[in-house]
Amino acid sequence: MKKLMIKLHEAWLEMLMAGFMSNSANKETLIDFSDILFRHFTWIENEIVNKREDYNYNRTPVPIKVTNLHIILKDIIKRLEEIESMLGDDDLGFRIKSDITYFKNNLNSMEDEEVKAFDMQRELPDISLTKEATDALTLFLFEETYKEYELILIYNYLKAHSSDYYMNRIFQILIDESFFHLKRFGDLSAKMGILAVPRVVMKELYQVDDVIQFLKDGIDEEIIAKEECRNLSDAVSKDSSELAQFFDFINNQENYHISLMRDALKHYISQNK
Amino acid sequence: MVVDDQLIEHMMSPKNYGSMENSDVEGIGKNPDNGEKVAVYLKIGKDEDEPYIEDISFQAIGCTTTIVAGSMLTEEAKELNLNGAKNLVNATLNLLTKLPPEEAACSEMVALAIIAAVDTYEKRQNEADYPVITYNVTQSCMPKEEDQ
Repeated sequence: MKKLMIKLHEAWLEMLMAGFMSNSANKETLIDFSDILFRHFTWIENEIVNKREDYNYNRTPVPIKVTNLHIILKDIIKRLEEIESMLGDDDLGFRIKSDITYFKNNLNSMEDEEVKAFDMQRELPDISLTKEATDALTLFLFEETYKEYELILIYNYLKAHSSDYYMNRIFQILIDESFFHLKRFGDLSAKMGILAVPRVVMKELYQVDDVIQFLKDGIDEEIIAKEECRNLSDAVSKDSSELAQFFDFINNQENYHISLMRDALKHYISQNK
Repeated sequence: MVVDDQLIEHMMSPKNYGSMENSDVEGIGKNPDNGEKVAVYLKIGKDEDEPYIEDISFQAIGCTTTIVAGSMLTEEAKELNLNGAKNLVNATLNLLTKLPPEEAACSEMVALAIIAAVDTYEKRQNEADYPVITYNVTQSCMPKEEDQ
């Protein structure tokens, strides 16, 4: 079961990255499929939690540097076949197998595309940035793409181990929000030619002993993230009002995250006096 | 930070990133100011009875600078004997004294994790259960507030 969860984690990431690489109608399909694989991952995780077994989110690196989409699609199909061979005949196993059969049929019929997500050109279509703004955007994308992935895993782990509906509602909102940010930043990274799989998250970060301290630190980090977005918006505003507006939009979203985390902190303290 | 192709390569595909299941020893570098840390894992080989770093990997709770420093330093440390690794760490720490503290702290954390792993290995030659050594950074990446 744990090996299956790792394989689903890796397949989810590879499918998501393939979605970022695509510049055609394939993109939406690949990203939708990656969302479903993430759900499979959480369902298998729940089975492990129900059995009260320990686990972590360690995985092996997922190589994605390809010149054509077909190469990564073939690799994803191989991963899916391995997952298929590990599934049982219960309802969950049947559901995942059925999804995988549909995915494989779709992946096999997708048009090939040249992939430019790794060319390191660091240029955006129709936007001309100064060297300073390009460097700032590059560093921001690496830092924040990882951060959003890290947050998805942290909130997902906390949610999997909590039966408090109020906390879980907040964790789910934060997971959804981080998915949106991860998708936007991943897409920008691919356009810039610097797409990369986020690194493995250390287990100390999600196997949280002190939820109160975690939430306090999280609020501080959100405030820093807001500042990063504001700095980036300033750095790119002279060259592109469109990009500046995007980072202001992200920055303003962080306000609600902070408010939710403060709510979660207040609620957790009241429940654990 | 100068953003060039070499730096981007390290950010896109950090070398030696991840835990190591069959490692012989681990060492930790830590920044107590902000909770960031680096864990270095070593697989020690023997060359004519002299121990050397056969394989090395690292994991980090930290920023991109930490990851780039980890990628570069672990690549340099690979296949060095233990004295060579100590020399590499000392040379790195000397270089870092020329940088502002907030820029030096991330690389210092990686260098200290490497030396913590080497020191733990040496301690365990006499005491098998010696705990994993953690060294704290002397630099800080938290900008100090100016005096009013």
